[in-house]
Amino acid sequence: MRIPVYVVTGFLGSGKTTFLNALLDEGDDISKLVVQFEAGEASLGKAYAENLVFSKKTLELKPETVVRRLEESLENGNFDEIWIEWNGFAPFSQLLAILLDPALKKFCKISKVLHVAEAAQLNSLIGRSGSVLLEQIANCDFAVLRNGREDDKNKDKDKNKEKETAKAALRAVNEGLPVYDASSCKNVYKELFEKRRAPLTFFFLSILLTVWLYIVGKPFLELAEIPVNKCVNVFLGIALQAVPFLLIGVHLSSAIEIFVSRSAIERRFPKTIGMGMLTAIASGFCLPVCDCASIPIFRSLVRKGVPLPAAVTFMMSAPVINPVVILSTYYAFSGNLRVVAERILLGVLCSVSIGLAVRSSKTKKTLLPREGIDALLCRCGCYESLGSVLGVREKIGLFFRHAQAEFFDVGKYLMVGILVSSIFQASGVTVFASWRSGSGLAISTAVLMLAGFMLSLCSSSDAVVARSFANQFPPGAVMGFLLFGPMMDVKNFMMLSHSFPKGFVVKLSIVAFAVCFAAVFVFFDFFLIM
Amino acid sequence: MVVRPKLLNAQAFLESLCCFSFSVSTLYLVTSGQYLAYVTPRMKPYLYFTAAVMLLWSWTGLGRPPQHKTRSAHCLVLALPILLLLLPHGPLSTSDLSYAFARGGGARSGDSTPGGPDISEIGDLPDLSAIPDPSDILDPSDIPDLSELLSGESPPVPQDSVASAALSGLDASAKRITISDGEFYPWLEEMFMNPDTYAGYAVKMTGFVLKDPELLQPDEFVPARLVMSCCVADLLPYGMICKYEKTEELQNDTWVTVEGVIHITEENGYREPQARITAITPAAAIEGYIYPF
Repeated sequence: MRIPVYVVTGFLGSGKTTFLNALLDEGDDISKLVVQFEAGEASLGKAYAENLVFSKKTLELKPETVVRRLEESLENGNFDEIWIEWNGFAPFSQLLAILLDPALKKFCKISKVLHVAEAAQLNSLIGRSGSVLLEQIANCDFAVLRNGREDDKNKDKDKNKEKETAKAALRAVNEGLPVYDASSCKNVYKELFEKRRAPLTFFFLSILLTVWLYIVGKPFLELAEIPVNKCVNVFLGIALQAVPFLLIGVHLSSAIEIFVSRSAIERRFPKTIGMGMLTAIASGFCLPVCDCASIPIFRSLVRKGVPLPAAVTFMMSAPVINPVVILSTYYAFSGNLRVVAERILLGVLCSVSIGLAVRSSKTKKTLLPREGIDALLCRCGCYESLGSVLGVREKIGLFFRHAQAEFFDVGKYLMVGILVSSIFQASGVTVFASWRSGSGLAISTAVLMLAGFMLSLCSSSDAVVARSFANQFPPGAVMGFLLFGPMMDVKNFMMLSHSFPKGFVVKLSIVAFAVCFAAVFVFFDFFLIM
Repeated sequence: MVVRPKLLNAQAFLESLCCFSFSVSTLYLVTSGQYLAYVTPRMKPYLYFTAAVMLLWSWTGLGRPPQHKTRSAHCLVLALPILLLLLPHGPLSTSDLSYAFARGGGARSGDSTPGGPDISEIGDLPDLSAIPDPSDILDPSDIPDLSELLSGESPPVPQDSVASAALSGLDASAKRITISDGEFYPWLEEMFMNPDTYAGYAVKMTGFVLKDPELLQPDEFVPARLVMSCCVADLLPYGMICKYEKTEELQNDTWVTVEGVIHITEENGYREPQARITAITPAAAIEGYIYPF
């Protein structure tokens, strides 16, 4: 049985030592080895059997010394637990490298990693302190949030707001991270000593479940008029068609993210509204970014003083009218140039209208409560920021990793979308079709726009799915799907909510829905009369 | 610096494994031709591209430093399609579709478009003009040479009536057309484009029997083939309506070789060729789908 290791990470001054003391006080009869990689303001209590302290210098220049001394201690002492206070400026992978050294690996094993953060400090640091803090947050099992020091006389309301912001920031870096209040020690203990799930459990369980469902559930599904064989065929058909386009999309977006400087893009936007709109449309047309990539750009555009209407127009138009989308629409609709033309025309019209509609909205100050993590917030799992990577070689490496991470991230929504869509297809779309029949353009358009919102498809491949709806829905409704889906969907909504006030995001979604619906209705109804 | 032992990053390893498997699966699909059961030949270069990228990713991901928190759910993005490919499933049979179409729409012959908005949809709408003219979608002249350049394969559809010279099986002196299995789609397209040219011709072709009480008269059936214009999600039966007194005796989905004489009918304002059957013989099933583009 290897000795469990508990690691406390956190930035300098976040209160790691204080919190560690509180944790160490529990369990008197347990023999603990405490290892510190920095000496902070607070000093360690006495609730331990042995204490080792290493300076950052030793850690960096002589990591072998660290390994040797730890090995000696572990050989001589008889410990039940090891507690490590990690240095706030050292990458977490360094600690892993030490603990996974064969000399130590046989003695101990990381059990849990917790990150201690002070709300106000975290809010001001995140995104500005480089990759180390982000890496530490991304690697922890759970976080403990402290809220102000004791001499802090801030009002409770401000404190709560601060805490919520910090919580959101932590979860932006480490999705679904449990965050506890420092005062609720009980929860922290529970989380600390709860057994960790084997890392790949979820993956293999899902695989087994799928196989089981396929073998055991098939007859039942077929009884419920869901032909499994057709589902599988349709799923694979759409997936094989969508994946290559998604690949093109993420590589282009990654290239822009890595090789084109943000300032170059921002410089193109004139400050007047009319020209701004025109530039926004032109840039949207030229930049092959899908909706997931246009949102980070939108953020920086707003921050750099680009008028909100132009920035919104850019964000709304880029995913609908860019070359990759045009090409995939062209192919998906079997070379039907009319659908392509309609998508471009109405896409431009709608995004300009939405841009103008939000003109009266709040100023950029209230729109951006938190700045900072944008480049890293791409949920890409790579913590090197562009600033720290200068060589062409490293940039190319980052380019591929960024693209890959984005593929996996967006791919999740894509696969779910395809799955849902293939079940609709195979079962004859009875639900949607019954809403459609006899209800005419209005309802079927609304239904498909809602579907576009829920499916969250990447705009570089949504045309393929839209095309598969074309057998069951009128062209106007399909156009509503093609317009609204890329502009706003569950995925975009979530991404925008990370960085903007909910109110603004909700308003933007409603405006976008109304504008697209009206455009489709006027355009296709007008055609009907003609 | 100590010589660091090679540390395994479980997440990166799983990602690489999935990418590699996906690359191999894609390559296998393309080289074995099995991809044609799901998508059209046009996707071939894109699938090679996918395989190449996945192979590259499986390699670039390996050098990552170890991480404590391991996520695996995102790998299902690749694992799930691979798994579904491996689990036993057959190609779509004609019964899968005729069942679906018996209710929804159906095999339209003539200028109907495999893949275009289904003709039966029009009934739900106030006016026909709301639907893009189906012939817009299939009209070969709409497809610029771009598709040819990108896919590297020329469309098998003849550009105009002169192209009938390029089709085999025409015996103009005997007014007889024997349609080979490989030219089912281009020949029918040709006849629907220029119905008057072929009126009175004897025609011979092979397809599966499609009877549809909602769309066809009791004495009509379609010897149809399945057409895929984009991917397996849009498979549609395609063929020419045949008049046959003993249609009742025919079984849906059985493969037949029919011989008949072409005549022109006018239906819903469309002039289209139909065939009066003179002989029917059972035929062997034809594997695979038709890819118009």
